Amino acid sequence: MAGQLTPDTTAPSASPVTPGRRTARTPVRVLARVGTVLLKRAVLLALLLALVFGTVEMLPGDAATATGERGESAADLAARRELLGLDRPVLERFRDWMTGLPTGDLGTSARGEKVTDLLSTAFPNTLLLGGIALLLTALVSLALGCWAALRPAGRLDRAVSGTATAVLALPEFVVAVALVLVLSLWTGWLPAVTLTGADGTPASWDMLVLPALALTIPQAGWNIRIVRAALADEARAPHVETAVLDGLPPHRVLTHHVLPGALPAIAAGLATSTGMLLGGAVVVETIFNYPGIGSVLASAVTDRDSPVIAGVTALSGAVITGVLLLADLVRDTVTGARR
Amino acid sequence: MSIRTALRITPALLLLGLALAGPWIAPHAVDAPVTAPYAEPGSAAVLGGDQLGRDVLSRLLAGGRDLVLSSLLVAVLVTGTAAVLGAIGAVRPIVGRLVERTADVLMLLPAVLGILLVTLSWPGGGRFAVIAAAVVLGVPYAVRLAASAASPVAATGYVEAAAAGGERLWYLVVREILPNLRATLLALFGLRFVAAVYLVATAGFLQVGPQPPAADWALMIRENSSGILLNPWSVVAPGIAIGLLALSVNLAAATLAPQTGRKAVTVL
Repeated sequence: MAGQLTPDTTAPSASPVTPGRRTARTPVRVLARVGTVLLKRAVLLALLLALVFGTVEMLPGDAATATGERGESAADLAARRELLGLDRPVLERFRDWMTGLPTGDLGTSARGEKVTDLLSTAFPNTLLLGGIALLLTALVSLALGCWAALRPAGRLDRAVSGTATAVLALPEFVVAVALVLVLSLWTGWLPAVTLTGADGTPASWDMLVLPALALTIPQAGWNIRIVRAALADEARAPHVETAVLDGLPPHRVLTHHVLPGALPAIAAGLATSTGMLLGGAVVVETIFNYPGIGSVLASAVTDRDSPVIAGVTALSGAVITGVLLLADLVRDTVTGARR
Repeated sequence: MSIRTALRITPALLLLGLALAGPWIAPHAVDAPVTAPYAEPGSAAVLGGDQLGRDVLSRLLAGGRDLVLSSLLVAVLVTGTAAVLGAIGAVRPIVGRLVERTADVLMLLPAVLGILLVTLSWPGGGRFAVIAAAVVLGVPYAVRLAASAASPVAATGYVEAAAAGGERLWYLVVREILPNLRATLLALFGLRFVAAVYLVATAGFLQVGPQPPAADWALMIRENSSGILLNPWSVVAPGIAIGLLALSVNLAAATLAPQTGRKAVTVL
């Protein structure tokens, strides 16, 4: 059975300690390393933005035709196209869009509004919801993953892993409907819809509970498995074997010897979850009427407004890049410390 | 196949069969009102009526086929593409690196946003746009698994011998490598089917896939959520259907997966 906190002498060493390259960690080297990671992530983000812009351009239909009224003349259509700048060459518009991004200009929606204005209150609200869900996911998956790892192959381990596997496949909107039904309509404990206060944020904290739970449950299922697998992998390392033979209590072996080595894999798993959380937030916000990008996207769906979607995708891509960068740095710190 | 394996696959097969055969055994037409809007369950409709008084049970039976068929199509296309790309990448490292870089970029695009982006930029695409987007977004994740399974096979003596003997790339991929990946590809297919159910259902819920008169589980949840207090079954029944489909297929996929157990496999 995979994943025991006892040393497995037959398995080859799975330690991440890389032989050679025992150079001192001078500040210059650290800076160079951070710079390379930053540059790589920036290039990937730029490529994604090009891809997003290209998708919107290549596929048939544009913002002008999408918002067109029935029976509109070709001249009106051409006029609105000119107004939205759609008659200019693709490369020129792409350059404008890309150079506008760093200054916070995400282009113009099909209805002629600045995409930045549409998203300026909505996106922070979504980040708040997604941030809470990510934090909850991290806490729940670390706690349950470690708890299960302390009793490998036991009944508890099987129960936690089984439940995790079961919930990770559930779409967020199914979880959300179940939560609304049980925690709101039947028991009346929590509000089923989010009311928006005067400043554009949710009116009270308890309105965040159900949306955050609906996002957390599938992601926690997913991350518990990652935590469990990473701990099991790390438990085979020689230094863990030594710690166990030294007679250290299991929880100390876990916190001081297994967990640090497993952190890069856990951080990478949580970083991957960020994209799922942002995508899921769009769905969950629609159900709870939460004032985030979900509601903006819902009206964009009716308007067939792809510039708005492109803007949201660009912002999400930037957030995910940032979180992946953090995961990169966790990995570098952990493997660097071992060197 | 052991009895235990068979038992774990049976629920998924039964549910898939029911979803596929559902439209033929539905007692009422899916688009004709038979009760009052949001009528409670009664003799006319076992699960009550929906927001237009249509029979929830009939719509439930009819609403799964397109979801299942679309998801199957996505899973087949993703698994097939990933298998071929992974095998080519194992023989030709340049292709492998290119595929990996593309996957890195697409990782930054949340799948739900990607689906919205494609379906909205392609208004006439309908269900086909959802399927196309789900395939494009699924391949990067699947390629990693296929490639990691293909590279040890490509390094074996007989494949190297065949390559040295001047066999063409296509022959190496189709005749030498892919047949050895059967177990991995079967597991990959299961996982991609789970992921496809998630994406196709979510697209339905966001109303970019099937359009309103159609019976579709995800769409039913969206349409009837305002009447959840009057007739909870109009929302709960399709919710349970999607939940059971995801759970049972996931259980079957986990059972069929080769028991290496060490590496967690990315599902979505």
